[in-house]
Amino acid sequence: MIWEYVLDPANWTNPDAGIFILLAQHLAYTALAVLAAAVVGIPFGIWIGHTGRGRFVGIGLSNAARAIPSLGLLVLVVTLLSTGIGPVVGVLAILALPPILTATAAGISGADSEAVHAARALGMTGNQIIGKVEWPLALPLVISGLRSATLQVVATATIAAYVSAGGLGRLLISGQATANYSEMFAGAVLVAALAILLDLLLGLIGWLAARRTNPGRAAEVAFAASR
Amino acid sequence: MSFTQRILGRGRRALVVAGIGAATFALAACGGGGTDPLADSSGSPSAAAGGGKVVVGSADFTESQILGELYAQAMKAKGVDASTKPGIGSREVYIKALQDNSISVVPEYTGNLLLYFDPKATATTEAEIAAALPTAVGSDLKILEPSQAQDQDVYVVTKQTSEEKGITSLEDLKKISSTSILGGPAELQDRAYGPPGLEKIYGATFKQFKPYASPAVKVKDLNDNKIQVASFFTTEAAIPDNGYVKLEDPQSMILPQNVVPLVRADVASNTAAVDAINAVQKALTTEELTALNKSVDADNQDPDQVAAEWLTSKGLA
Repeated sequence: MIWEYVLDPANWTNPDAGIFILLAQHLAYTALAVLAAAVVGIPFGIWIGHTGRGRFVGIGLSNAARAIPSLGLLVLVVTLLSTGIGPVVGVLAILALPPILTATAAGISGADSEAVHAARALGMTGNQIIGKVEWPLALPLVISGLRSATLQVVATATIAAYVSAGGLGRLLISGQATANYSEMFAGAVLVAALAILLDLLLGLIGWLAARRTNPGRAAEVAFAASR
Repeated sequence: MSFTQRILGRGRRALVVAGIGAATFALAACGGGGTDPLADSSGSPSAAAGGGKVVVGSADFTESQILGELYAQAMKAKGVDASTKPGIGSREVYIKALQDNSISVVPEYTGNLLLYFDPKATATTEAEIAAALPTAVGSDLKILEPSQAQDQDVYVVTKQTSEEKGITSLEDLKKISSTSILGGPAELQDRAYGPPGLEKIYGATFKQFKPYASPAVKVKDLNDNKIQVASFFTTEAAIPDNGYVKLEDPQSMILPQNVVPLVRADVASNTAAVDAINAVQKALTTEELTALNKSVDADNQDPDQVAAEWLTSKGLA
């Protein structure tokens, strides 16, 4: 039966490569990659959105990064440097960067212009405008960028197993090598389930953020912050 | 908008998506049923049944692909309608393909083939194994002439590990096994000459087994000391290129592995095909096989090119 690998509790708690361990590794790669991409992408995106400069370079680089074949890059990096967490997180972070960068830039530059003008008229400095007006207004879009990045990374982190770095991809590769289709199915269904779960979670966070910052409040926020 | 609407989209659309998702899971569960979803069904017209059409399959490693090409091209030169299906997968996968008639010839190795069909076999010498094989593979499959060319699994350590820890044979492994990691292809884990054999016969239980899908990554990790012992094939170029030390096997856990073609019964009655393949088998030696592997792995040539040149040089094509 195709479900038998997933339903067998021994496969979950196996100390060598049990599903719990592989899940933990997969989540770790996803979290670290999205975090790394956010640390680079959000500041750069804010700069592009606020000043309107560097758009060409930023969006160009981001589109180029989307085109990179992740598996090929990963094998290349591993054979040049070494195996381990670093190369995997690095390559996945490159994959996660474009959605975060473009969403942040779009969110900041698209922040309600009336609120921004009001803030400027009140004499706020550039940093104050970013921090108190543009960022809260851009937050829902930034979170949707993070959501998109997380989804891509969760699906792609299966390549880590190709360079023997663990993650749910291990079920796919080992299952294929031994013609154990139940194991392959387990890998596929768990990646899908994880992706859906994380998507719902980030959707929830996005909804909470959007509730705080509907356009009507932006002017109030700017006015109150200038006091 | 309400909470659920915000997250899942407008109600009706959300229901449709959820419905499709549930249906997909249900279909996957019903459709599985334990049968091999990748095999052709036996009666399919595209299968290589009878009529002189021969499909040569090969496993997902260089040497098997080279052997497959040698057989197919030798047969073509003698007028047999032969084609190849390279890189199918490990033994578990391609034997199923052979039994399902998706392929009709596959290059195999005497010792491991015997163990696959008869895990309790006690034959240990070349002659014993060759004698035991015909019965072991059953009536649908036949073996042709075994070659003197051999290629077995071998465990290696780096020169440094061998000198520092004094490891030259599998008997020495128990000295370091509890703190060492063993690397090899994923299917090695359950094989009789894999970790189970090392534990039972040599008393070496490893801290961890790391499966490798890519031999290049395995070589990298062994050189970086991320793993301490790795399994390779004796004819692989990586062993002399990196100065690895092959570990001796005094208890013959790893059986002799002579190259032998495994074919379906109908191909065995096709004299032109059989003669062509056996001619290749006679001409092949371990040194030649190693050199062929090197051309593909180290010098980056194509298996079919390398095979064609070798056959021409031996007058077989």
